[in-house]
Amino acid sequence: MTQILIQGLLLSGLYALIAMGFMLIFSIGRTLNLAYGAYLMVGGYVYFWLSQQLGLPKIVGIGGAVLVGVLMGLLKHRLIVKTLKGDHVAVEISTLILAVVLQAGVVLVFGDSSKILLPIVPGVVTVAGAQVTYNILVATIISWVVILALYAFVRGTHTGRAMQAVSMDPKGAAISGIDPDRINLITWGISGALGALGGVFFASYTQLYPSMWVAPLIISVAVVIVGGIGSILGTLIVAHIVGFLEVIIVSVWAPELRGVFTMLLIIGVLVMRPQGLFGREETH
Amino acid sequence: MNLRAHHVLLWGLFIAGLMVMPELVSKGTLRTMIFACYLAIFAISWDVLSGRTGYISFGHPFLIGIGAYTTAILSKRFDVPVEISIPLAVVVTMIAGLIVLLPALRIKGSYFALVTLAFMELMYQLVQVIRPDLTGGTRGMSGLQTLTRGALNGYYLAASLMSVLAIIAWLLMRTRVGTALWAIGMNEESVRGSGLSTTRLKAFAFLVSAAIAGLGGAFYVHYLGSIAPRALFDINFLFTIIVAVLIGGAGTIIGPIIGAFFMVFLLEWLRPWLPGAERYFVYGLIALLLYMFQPKGIMAILAGLWVRLKRVTS
Repeated sequence: MTQILIQGLLLSGLYALIAMGFMLIFSIGRTLNLAYGAYLMVGGYVYFWLSQQLGLPKIVGIGGAVLVGVLMGLLKHRLIVKTLKGDHVAVEISTLILAVVLQAGVVLVFGDSSKILLPIVPGVVTVAGAQVTYNILVATIISWVVILALYAFVRGTHTGRAMQAVSMDPKGAAISGIDPDRINLITWGISGALGALGGVFFASYTQLYPSMWVAPLIISVAVVIVGGIGSILGTLIVAHIVGFLEVIIVSVWAPELRGVFTMLLIIGVLVMRPQGLFGREETH
Repeated sequence: MNLRAHHVLLWGLFIAGLMVMPELVSKGTLRTMIFACYLAIFAISWDVLSGRTGYISFGHPFLIGIGAYTTAILSKRFDVPVEISIPLAVVVTMIAGLIVLLPALRIKGSYFALVTLAFMELMYQLVQVIRPDLTGGTRGMSGLQTLTRGALNGYYLAASLMSVLAIIAWLLMRTRVGTALWAIGMNEESVRGSGLSTTRLKAFAFLVSAAIAGLGGAFYVHYLGSIAPRALFDINFLFTIIVAVLIGGAGTIIGPIIGAFFMVFLLEWLRPWLPGAERYFVYGLIALLLYMFQPKGIMAILAGLWVRLKRVTS
């Protein structure tokens, strides 16, 4: 029981971090970034290359991964999203193509076989009879710190409030003197950073392989859909629902079924309540 | 329907071209063309639904997979002859199409795409867990009955199936129903405002699309002789279908066929340099650039060239 509770809390924290970057783009840019999973994959591989193949300090590896993530986000906004001028279907499909291109690029550079990341922080601690690696513990703590910092940023700073305004009504925001284009660019950058950071932790939790981007993408989609767009709190709560569902099903039922209820949750919520459990009504 | 003499002529030329192809090309190329034909069928199926109504389906492998698995299970495990199992597979796929229709009655745009993506992943995971004695679990099934022997017969079957389906879809899209489906893609409210039942129109589009997908999937699995969950319910497979339609030109019937042939042959030509999954790097980049350059696809590029050519000559 405590085992499930602890595992669930740890996994959910990581999921919340991963879903957060996806939610930001979805609520502010109104676009499904299907290449978001690829940020995680590329982040994981950059960390692997810097810290394990070049032997640089781990913090440099993480920093490098985040930097590449930001760069990818910015480039994608400039080259694809802006070029297609807000045609949602076109943006979604080109991000899907981009994700496949990035996956193939990773295969080209690192090969097809899966890589095992050394734990970022080695060691194991026993909490209430449950074995917890320091690796996942640190990942969860950092996730929470980043999420809280993001919350403070969105609520407290001028740029953060401008992001909220653009997410609610881009035209109204533009009239109030906010440049939606700049806000979008910033959001894509932040999203890329969150994705790459989440990817490093996710890869150290599971494994590093070229098609690893699909599972976190589906989890992010589930969390954001069920939580509703534009709600950090909703994302956080639903990340815990999804995380706990997975842990409970894996430990009491069958590990192969881990994703099934996540899918059913997406389908059920979307059909019953398209705006999500915590989201606001969409006007269009 | 508005059929003209040059339509009949063009389709006749198209089919004649397909039928003389085995005289001109080698066996290896013929096998590549078989894959292109099946991909074209899947692309037509996607185009009938998503290219017209604007309901972007990310779940087409779900429909194709259901058709393929139904006939595979029936013929392999229950010894049902293929003459019965393939029609049954089509019926089952159409029922599955109605399941996908349910969310489309309430949601649209990105949300609809996501639900269909969830359907595909759900199916992928369920197939491996539920009754692995029937579905073959993660490893799938092999040694299924094949309909034809040799590349030549396989090609004739695939090419005729594709031509028949293409012509049926083309005729269908030239009727008033086809026009109404176009209109849904542009403005669903105004279609409803004109007194048409959008629910019935959408149900029709989903059923036609599912039937084509089921038929294509069933014949495909009886061509391959094997089936595996990761080969069917896979984002790469979905990507290939959607890219074929978009590169060729969504909303035209001939566009997806051109797109499918273009993409399959591109993939083949890359094989000597890049043998593995790296091929998708070049393939995807070309697809991305073409798509960014002209989202309406090769058909629109050709039409643009045609207009320019006319202007130059006159």
